[in-house]
Amino acid sequence: MRRRTISMLTALAMLTMTMSSSVYAETEDAAAAENMKTVHMGDREIQVEVTDPGIKGNFTYWSCFTGDSATWDQERIDAFNEAYADLGIQCDVQFVPDGAGINNGKLLSALAGGTAPDLLITDNPTSAYQYVAEGSFMPLDETLQKINLDVSAFFDGCKDVMYYNDTCYLVPQDTNVIMLYYNPDIATECGLDPENPPTTLDELNAWSDAMTVQEDDGSYSRFGLIPWLDSGNDAFVIPFIFGANPYDKETGKIDLTSDQMMKYMSWVQSFSQKYDPEKIGAFTSGLGGMFSPDHPFMTGKVGMTITGNWFSEALRQYAPDVNYKVCAVPVPEGGRANSTTFGCNVFAIPANTDPEKAELAGLFIKFCEQGSVNEDNFTQWRSIPVIDAAFDDVGLTKDGDPMYLLERQIANSPENGIPALCAVSAELSTQFQTAREQVIYSGADPQETLQALQDTMQSQLDAK
Amino acid sequence: MNNKNKTSRMRKAEARNGLLFILPWIIGLALFTIYPIASSLYYSFCNYSVIGKPTFVGWSNYTNLFKDKTFLASCKNTLYMICIGVPITTFVAVWISIFLDSKKLKHTGWMRVVFFIPTLVPTVVACLLWIWVMQPDTGLVNTILGYFGIQGPGWLSSVKWAKPAFILMMIWTCGNQIIIYLAGLQDVPATLYDAAAIDGAGFFRTANSITIPLLRPTILYNVVTLIIGVFQWFAEPYIMTEGGPSNATMFYSLYLYQNAFQFFKMGYASAQAWIMLLVAMAIILVLFKVFKFNQPEDQ
Amino acid sequence: MNKMNGYKVKTFLGKFCIYLILLLFALAFLLPFFFLFTGSFKTSSELFSKPFHWLPRHWTLNNYRQVFTKIPFFRYLKNTMIIVVVNIIGALISNSLIAYGFSRLRWPGRDKVFMIVIATMILPYQVTLIPLYLMYSKMGWVGTFLPLTVPGFFGNAFYIFLMRQFMIGIPKELSEAARIDGANEFGIFSSVIIPISKPALASVAIMSFMRAWNDFLGPLVFLGNDRLYTLSLAASMLRSNLNPNWELLLALGAVMVIPVLILFFVLQKYFIQGITMGGVKG
Repeated sequence: MRRRTISMLTALAMLTMTMSSSVYAETEDAAAAENMKTVHMGDREIQVEVTDPGIKGNFTYWSCFTGDSATWDQERIDAFNEAYADLGIQCDVQFVPDGAGINNGKLLSALAGGTAPDLLITDNPTSAYQYVAEGSFMPLDETLQKINLDVSAFFDGCKDVMYYNDTCYLVPQDTNVIMLYYNPDIATECGLDPENPPTTLDELNAWSDAMTVQEDDGSYSRFGLIPWLDSGNDAFVIPFIFGANPYDKETGKIDLTSDQMMKYMSWVQSFSQKYDPEKIGAFTSGLGGMFSPDHPFMTGKVGMTITGNWFSEALRQYAPDVNYKVCAVPVPEGGRANSTTFGCNVFAIPANTDPEKAELAGLFIKFCEQGSVNEDNFTQWRSIPVIDAAFDDVGLTKDGDPMYLLERQIANSPENGIPALCAVSAELSTQFQTAREQVIYSGADPQETLQALQDTMQSQLDAK
Repeated sequence: MNNKNKTSRMRKAEARNGLLFILPWIIGLALFTIYPIASSLYYSFCNYSVIGKPTFVGWSNYTNLFKDKTFLASCKNTLYMICIGVPITTFVAVWISIFLDSKKLKHTGWMRVVFFIPTLVPTVVACLLWIWVMQPDTGLVNTILGYFGIQGPGWLSSVKWAKPAFILMMIWTCGNQIIIYLAGLQDVPATLYDAAAIDGAGFFRTANSITIPLLRPTILYNVVTLIIGVFQWFAEPYIMTEGGPSNATMFYSLYLYQNAFQFFKMGYASAQAWIMLLVAMAIILVLFKVFKFNQPEDQ
Repeated sequence: MNKMNGYKVKTFLGKFCIYLILLLFALAFLLPFFFLFTGSFKTSSELFSKPFHWLPRHWTLNNYRQVFTKIPFFRYLKNTMIIVVVNIIGALISNSLIAYGFSRLRWPGRDKVFMIVIATMILPYQVTLIPLYLMYSKMGWVGTFLPLTVPGFFGNAFYIFLMRQFMIGIPKELSEAARIDGANEFGIFSSVIIPISKPALASVAIMSFMRAWNDFLGPLVFLGNDRLYTLSLAASMLRSNLNPNWELLLALGAVMVIPVLILFFVLQKYFIQGITMGGVKG
């Protein structure tokens, strides 16, 4: 159901990471001079670092942000333009809905017609990665070096999306963490200890069973967990955390039939067999999705759900009275315990961009990676920087916020990653979701369905 | 001889005039249509990701399509909408129009507006309204069914009921057709109604034996555009269901769209488009021929 | 006398039934709008609250205020109106001419060529968009209103088809009479056929209005600068990346429907004129 909205929600995060200037200081050389400056961002004054590249000019930038997020991006651009006015550098923005036109033909047309912007940011890293594989974005290593942006300290998990064939093409501005949200009141009511949330799949199932309430007429008034709700509806988030590796970059093989994947599928299947999935649909086909008081977690119709840090903001806005706690997603044996997938907004520079424009665009990327530019957004959305050291400068860390500390801890797991990025990732994700729906709604055999999909996709990949 | 010459001269003049009148279309075809259409035909024989150069692959896009389960599912769903959705919608639209046009009824002007306004809502908003209407527990449709003691299905989250939900939405947006039917009804001469009334024919008999036959060119138009509309239908399923659950609402153009813009398979999508062109043309030609709607009565 | 009464009762009952059917349908068509309009006055938390309230508990104009401040509404409206008006003019002129050539005049191969017209309606934009874009960008039209307006002057297959279907129904004798009076072909077209085709022209005007008004992809792809965006893009510019802001979308929907409603009421009168002018076939 409305997979697009939900996948959109997961794929993106609104914030940039906080990154102290000391991160770059290590690599500073004489190529570009840097100094600090005070500029306005919205109604605040912030300290930003300015790098003089020795060239002047304008560059065009397509922003995927709309609504309030566009207001925020506009403030960021204004701050940039103020900081670089003396140097004669300016960012010209165009707001392009739908992930900077990445999925509706706008970006494709512009690339084909030679009218693509000099820089873009998109909230759809999976599609962006496929653009990389098709050769439509520029390799960034050289540009990043010129402007002194060191990406080597970025979380390894983020590097999955940044690099294609060992070359950097995409730069994430921040990332998200997937967790299990649970309602401690419901847990207590069901005789569960909210201080000891589930850590294994068996415990999770036990919690789910305990929380599920069946009425006398056979209908359900509450579920413990719906495995395909929220991030569970994304293609590979939970399979990855459960230990599956849908694609192996080294061998170039798609693997949808591993033991871990089968464990995941039979887990999903067990829910669809136990409860009528169309009845569950009544719970999940709410109108407003996550950002409305209609979400089943907010109405108490589910006791737990697996989703990202941004959900805390939705809860704050629409259900401030609903208690919630978070923990790492429980995993089966062989799973990636205390880990997450990373969902990021990524910057990209289209291929064939003029090298000087690319350098100016790179300055904007660098500008956006600064903590001062987005501290208040971190506070709002709880997304995280892509470098561990940068956590120290975030207000939430300084305040000792327990959820943010957990996010940091999970973010540092060496097992994190972004699954299934390859030259056919967009289709692979979509088809995988359909295959899962066939298992859930039509009772298809998981092994058979996924084997068929794996064969089809592998042959497509090999043909590339 | 002289007469014959005159006739042939007139024929020539008429032909020349005919071409003059359609000249804008010919120019438009040459300027804006031929190139994109020819390109898409060429792409349909190519492996083309848009970003790279197209490489010729012969018929393989076409042959691969018929091995593609999602494609076959989309054909099945589209056929379902054409065979069930289009007749139902046409039936409703024709009768609402005839009712609205009935000279005996006063104060139907505002109703014409009512039936038309659904087509004015931006698609995103219309989809939002329909998700609300189709909600399983508190939605409008199930609430009303509840009054009659019927427990409604899960509609959009149900494999079986998702397509009927889309048919309901199709009916809801039939305002465009109603307008055209109403305009077509203005062509039915009032004297025919009077004659029928004198013969003692009731409302429904008049409608069946006089109005609907005379409305044939309009019905043909609406059915043909509706069928094309179903083939090209994309925004609503894209926003409301993304083709789910389990491909139950994966319609022809939705899959075509995914291939073209999301999966970088423009060649494949073009092959899909050309199959659609051929199939739709075949259906339309059958409609034109079998029902002889095409022939102007006196020309 | 008796018979008279019987007939009256019969028609009264008939009328009543027809009214009832129409009313029920009208109600069904209207209910979503009730939700649209009342919802646009609700706060976001009330919009989805359960149980559902038919009327807002706290009426608020805030959604409308935000629609007008968060996006440059009037600029979008102006852009939209430019495109819409030009398209309507283009559609009325070109399609009536072309349809006349396809219906009132005989020439060899006419009906076969007409099938080509129909065929051009079928190919979906998804596969023609890229070549069109390449073409327009070579012509230097990308980033201007030209790709969204100029093609409107060269006929649209849907409207050609529509007008043709109407013109076919007009009796030949009317043209013949004018011809005998010495009118040339264009004279017959403009003084005989066009006045009769008013209902069809009104339909074309409304449909081309709707097409231009609702066209999402055209403006998105061909307009290079967001200052040139149209109202159809407003919905996607209003929703934030994470929060769809449904309450704002409802207000926008209401705002977009109202001007069209007014226009439609105006054209509705025109239809009624068409009716009074009826009896074409006599």
